Amino acid sequence: MAQRLLGRNNVALVGSVIGLSSLFFSWLTLRPNRLAAGTHISLWDSAGWAATAIIILWLACLVSSLSGWGKSGNRRAIYLGMTANIIVVVALVLVGLTATLLVGDQSPLLRVSLGAGFWITLAGAYIAIFAARERLRGRGAWRNAVSWTALAAFGIFLITGLLQNLSIWQEFSGRESRFLQELGQHLFLLGGSVATGVLLGIPLGIWAVRSKGAERPIFFIANITQTVPSLALFGFLIPPLSALSFAFPALRELGIRGVGTTPALIALTIYSLLPIVRNTYVGLRQVDPAAVDAGLGMGMSGFQIFRKIEAPLAAPLVLQGVRIASVQVVGLVAVAALIGAGGLGWFIFQGIGQAAPDLILLGAIPIIALALMVDAVMRAVVRLATPKGTGKESQ
Amino acid sequence: MIRLEKVTKSYGVTVAVSELSLEVNQGEVCMLIGPSGCGKTTTLRMVNRLTEPTSGRIFVDGQDTAHVRPEQLRRSMGYAIQGVGLFPHMTVSKNIAVVPHLLSWEKERIAQRIEELLSLVGLNPAEYAGKYPGQLSGGEAQRIGVARALAADPPILLMDEPFGAVDPMTRERLQAQFLRIQRSLKKTVIMVTHDLDEAIRLADRIAIMEAGRLVQHDTPEAVLSRPRNKFVHDFVGTDRALKRLSRISVSGFVRQSPSISISASVEEAAAACVRRRWVWVVDENQRLRGWIDRDSLHEVASVRESIVATDPEVIAVAETATLREALSRMLGQGLRSVPVVDDRGRLLGEVTVTDVENATAAREA
Ligand SMILES: Nc1ncnc2c1ncn2[C@@H]1O[C@H](COP(=O)(O)OP(=O)(O)OP(=O)(O)O)[C@@H](O)[C@H]1O
Ligand SMILES: [Mg+2]
Repeated sequence: MAQRLLGRNNVALVGSVIGLSSLFFSWLTLRPNRLAAGTHISLWDSAGWAATAIIILWLACLVSSLSGWGKSGNRRAIYLGMTANIIVVVALVLVGLTATLLVGDQSPLLRVSLGAGFWITLAGAYIAIFAARERLRGRGAWRNAVSWTALAAFGIFLITGLLQNLSIWQEFSGRESRFLQELGQHLFLLGGSVATGVLLGIPLGIWAVRSKGAERPIFFIANITQTVPSLALFGFLIPPLSALSFAFPALRELGIRGVGTTPALIALTIYSLLPIVRNTYVGLRQVDPAAVDAGLGMGMSGFQIFRKIEAPLAAPLVLQGVRIASVQVVGLVAVAALIGAGGLGWFIFQGIGQAAPDLILLGAIPIIALALMVDAVMRAVVRLATPKGTGKESQ
Repeated sequence: MIRLEKVTKSYGVTVAVSELSLEVNQGEVCMLIGPSGCGKTTTLRMVNRLTEPTSGRIFVDGQDTAHVRPEQLRRSMGYAIQGVGLFPHMTVSKNIAVVPHLLSWEKERIAQRIEELLSLVGLNPAEYAGKYPGQLSGGEAQRIGVARALAADPPILLMDEPFGAVDPMTRERLQAQFLRIQRSLKKTVIMVTHDLDEAIRLADRIAIMEAGRLVQHDTPEAVLSRPRNKFVHDFVGTDRALKRLSRISVSGFVRQSPSISISASVEEAAAACVRRRWVWVVDENQRLRGWIDRDSLHEVASVRESIVATDPEVIAVAETATLREALSRMLGQGLRSVPVVDDRGRLLGEVTVTDVENATAAREA
């Protein structure tokens, strides 16, 4: 028994315990209208079959994580990961059906919102899914199944309307065009600032490598900007930009004002600089000096060395920097709503103002999803840019 | 061809090379040797301007290199750097093709050249052309580095310890290969080495450096028999007679030797062993298989049984080997002669200990 316990999988175990604890919380809250206090509905009060299924599935996860990966590690990881996915699917079906049942043909003001129990089960399931994913590194098909099954089911449920009686959906359905507009603005702010960060950051990184004198000031400034709280940075930009647009009305025509898109783009660009500059610097520094030397010795020009040797060898790290910057900026864009730049953060701050948690979620959930998607896409780009022969597998 | 005039390189207070003057003639191999940190690499790198001298001038083909564009200068010289420095993201063949590409050679010509060079450095083209540097051993990588330096067939070669990481047997083969090619191609070579035997074997002239200065620049024979000062004397060591043997190829000393076929009868073998105690054994293709001793023939039924079948690689030397190696094999086997084989392992004859003695005596005189 002692050995079995030693062999247990701690991360998955934490996930399972968290998941089981969700049984003690309310899964749904029923309110007569959007702002009123509500009554809590526990798992037991909702559909019995689904509640039983979730408890059994969580117990299965617990037992499987107590016994560790064992010899047949990959198979166990697949079981665990897929079980967690099924839990998510069942939980989604459960809340969707229960909400539809509760709403029935009652007042359109009635709201059924997700409670702590649902979120805790979701968190526990994804902890277990991540543990299984780690274990399944290099097992493409199953790893993808473990990562995406529940998300795919979620997408299908959204389209088929299973979740349309949940309050988040109701918040959304009243604001569809606004949502698309803010999503577009969010993506614009993200793309604009990261693109500018790349255009400025890569040359700065190259400059820092090439010139001893430039290295210290570049990193000094880049590091400082990261320590300024984002809200403060947005605030700092208001006075100089307002002064500018006041002094030169022509600039105002171009959209340069103390509040709005311009200061947001500037601030976000500044934030995206450090990871890009730093990774460009490290990427170029880790190129074997002997390779550069050999290239010079063969009569390659400085530009040829850069293009044929330094750039391809540094590219994966540079793109890693772009990935970090992008993921970071996806979250920071939320704050930009405070200076009138819009973006999905707008829903969050509206929700806070109206004490409407569902409206907050309408902003927060897409931001998280966006961050995960940007991360996955950029990871794939990094993999593609890694030259053969320098990857881990050949070393 | 290459002339250094009072060249000095200092890094702050460190003087890496001091007032060094050296001339390497066209088609000559100059071996640069000396203790670690004496400035060999620095000297080499000043020739192709990877390092700019603090003072002094360097001429290549009579032209002051300070007035030649570095890229152009470097493309006329192959350079194998001390750290090998293969490009990790390029395959072996891409690595070798870099300079030919820069010179815009045609595709077929490059492909052909790659194959040629890989065979030259003793690596099977089919197996190695597609590998990445991360998949090579240190010695293999070093040989690719040499192949890359040779790629565009430059008239000048600068090589910084090109055989430092290969095993002694491969090194011996590469040295022999180098000598053979050098005889026909007559490149102008400056090669850095730490190995005195290698220097003695390959050099037309040896340049010995100490703490940034050139202390002696002479033929190997002269360095061995007339060391300029105590430093050189100590550097070449006390076994100078032995070292001199490594300048002499066995090919001039191969003589007919008694041998019998592996399928011969015991009686035939005994007859062959009348005049001396041991004879070489060859197979039907004349390939060396070992040797038999007169005393071991008594209680056996066939030659095959009594053969001392040591690995021919261990007892025999190649035609390209030196007398020094021949002597060392004799001592190793406890025989008074060593068989000489061609590149397919066929017995050509033998070299005896008397030949070695005579050679030593002749040089001594
Ligand atoms: N870039 C540099 N900056 C400062 N000092 C240097 C530099 N390059 C070489 N040196 C110094 O110059 C001296 C000669 O170095 P060099 O590399 O020419 O030695 P070497 O004879 O090639 O040694 P080894 O046999 O170990 O390769 C050493 O003392 C070294 O520390
Ligand atoms: Mg050196």
